[in-house]
Amino acid sequence: MNVMRLLKALPALAVAWAGVEVHAATITVFAAASLTDGLGEIARNYQNKTGDRIEFNFAASSLLARQIEEGAPADIFFSADEAKMDALEKKGLVEKKTRRSRLSNSLVIVVAADSPFSIKSPKDLTGEKIGHIALADPQSVPAGIYAREYLNKIHLWDEIAPKVVPMGNVRAALAAVESGDAEAGIVYKTDAAISKKARIAFAVPRQDGPEISYPMAVMKEARDPKAARAFLEYLDSDAAGRVFAKFGFILENHAP
Amino acid sequence: MNLLLQNISLPLADFTLEIDAQLQCQVTGIFGPSGAGKTSLLDLIAGLRQPASARIALNDRVLTDTAAGVVMPPRLREIGYVPQDLALFPHLSVRQNLLYGHRNGRETGPLFGFEHVTEVLQLQPLTARGTGDLSGGERQRVALARALLSSPRLLLLDEPLASLEAGLKAKIIPYLRRVRDEFQLPILYVTHDEQEVLALCDEVLEMQRGRMTGRRRINARNP
Amino acid sequence: MTANEWQVVGFTAWVAALSTLVILPPGLAVAWLLARHDWPGKSLVETLVTLPLVMPPVATGLILLKVLGRRGALGGFFHDRLHLDIVFTWRAVLAALGVMSFPLLVRSAQWALEQVNPRFEQIARTLGAGDLRVFFTITLPLALRGIIGGVILAFARALGEFGATIMVAGYIPGKTATLSLSIYQSVQLGEDATAYRFLGVSVALAFAAVWASGWFMRRQRR
Repeated sequence: MNVMRLLKALPALAVAWAGVEVHAATITVFAAASLTDGLGEIARNYQNKTGDRIEFNFAASSLLARQIEEGAPADIFFSADEAKMDALEKKGLVEKKTRRSRLSNSLVIVVAADSPFSIKSPKDLTGEKIGHIALADPQSVPAGIYAREYLNKIHLWDEIAPKVVPMGNVRAALAAVESGDAEAGIVYKTDAAISKKARIAFAVPRQDGPEISYPMAVMKEARDPKAARAFLEYLDSDAAGRVFAKFGFILENHAP
Repeated sequence: MNLLLQNISLPLADFTLEIDAQLQCQVTGIFGPSGAGKTSLLDLIAGLRQPASARIALNDRVLTDTAAGVVMPPRLREIGYVPQDLALFPHLSVRQNLLYGHRNGRETGPLFGFEHVTEVLQLQPLTARGTGDLSGGERQRVALARALLSSPRLLLLDEPLASLEAGLKAKIIPYLRRVRDEFQLPILYVTHDEQEVLALCDEVLEMQRGRMTGRRRINARNP
Repeated sequence: MTANEWQVVGFTAWVAALSTLVILPPGLAVAWLLARHDWPGKSLVETLVTLPLVMPPVATGLILLKVLGRRGALGGFFHDRLHLDIVFTWRAVLAALGVMSFPLLVRSAQWALEQVNPRFEQIARTLGAGDLRVFFTITLPLALRGIIGGVILAFARALGEFGATIMVAGYIPGKTATLSLSIYQSVQLGEDATAYRFLGVSVALAFAAVWASGWFMRRQRR
């Protein structure tokens, strides 16, 4: 008898299921590694609100940009620096009207939580005891490029460069410091905030640090541009802004 | 010599090798069809295979005693072995093959000198050659000389003439006789050829399917 | 090819050669143990030795990272007692290449040793030779061509190693940048011309190595 009831309910279930399929979109977001936790929470909120599914690809912005160039299916690109977005725009891959930047960040020097090293200023990085300094790859990854920019500005780059261990992305740099294999590293303040095994030794003052900016945009080849634009609007909203601020990102004032 | 083969038991593919005998003649033939277990018996005596049970002693030296847990490794047994396929080391020259076991002399030095053995077996012109260049008969003599030069107390020959044709066999037999007479070594001679038994042995054990089926003395030695 | 690019090729060849040399004695020893005898635990050892061949290289690299890092079992000892770092240095590259090519060396050498007719070893024993002498004067020379084939194969594998290397040594230009790591880096940076030059060298090296290895294997006596 139960089987009969189930069989009778099947057509209704099928329609309902199909209905859900029709209305809910899946949006693929390629985002910088440093946005992992913030975007994760924002996406969960959005999913609960609208039923749309957000799928993420978190990696170094340089790697993501390369993947998009090669045809990877990204609906939204959320980069950690303007240069990567500019490169994609030049190739005609960006929906220019949707592009905007509202997030910034700041740099910190981190050491392992139980580290005996005290770094009171960046100059301490040149000390003998510091053998390895973990950065995101300063040749390509935004976090590394920002760090090099800063070190160049305070004339320490040449001295520090031989100790630099270039990592694939900023979270990998953080992990290298957490594991103890690098005595120090330079990452975003937001990365240090979520880490239990690393602590901030020195926070780069905003006026000394480089201009950090996180542009986001819908890609021209987005599979569901309407849904993608809707999510982008949400990312620009106050609700999302509160979450970003919670994780330590700096909100730029600009007109949406 | 005195070779004790007591309570030997070795399971083989189709049957179990079971031998119990005491050998005291200088040249003892082991005669039987192929597959009778003759080579396995030689392997046991040389220590290359382990029996399920056995007590093997040569001139009061215990080589294997499974009951007492004694198994002497092959390199200490001082038993020269010429296998059926000769096993000449292909990567060494004739001379290097011959001298391989030569350091294995007893405390007083090797029993048989290099010049002596090569002269008896007429190997002098061959020593510089590689083993690949030798004829069947030459290979046979080199394998024999190699075993002799390791100062053995007992020589095991496994079908030494089996792979040679009749004319060549007739040529090698005098060498074997010279070895027998010149070096006075006890020899165990495995063969399935009655002629060889008559030509060389003092006594012969007959084997079939792993068992001794007969034993007889050969009346007189052929000169 | 620029001077920097040749440096990468040279560094890769040097570390690969060194790692092959380092794994040769233990590799031969393990191959010999696995070739001839049966002993309790043999299947376990055989499986462990083959693991790096079958596991994802990055997984092996992760294990190496944990063991060779400053807080790891081995790395800790090196760092605290010998004041030597392994992770993020050429030593990590050496370790990664060695571990990843070890199974190839062992399997090839094992096969070569198994081709040697045991009769030769037995007769050598009756002539008075002990285990070591038998190994060095009979077994090894007769298995030599096959072993050389295996050494070349291991060297080729070391040349091409990527997954474990990136985990445990990272890409540090001038210090740990191997050929395969450099290909990956050039592609990431969009430097296609560089990537293709490195690709050409990789293919040429691999081709030559496999060809030479096969040449030796075919000449292994049976």
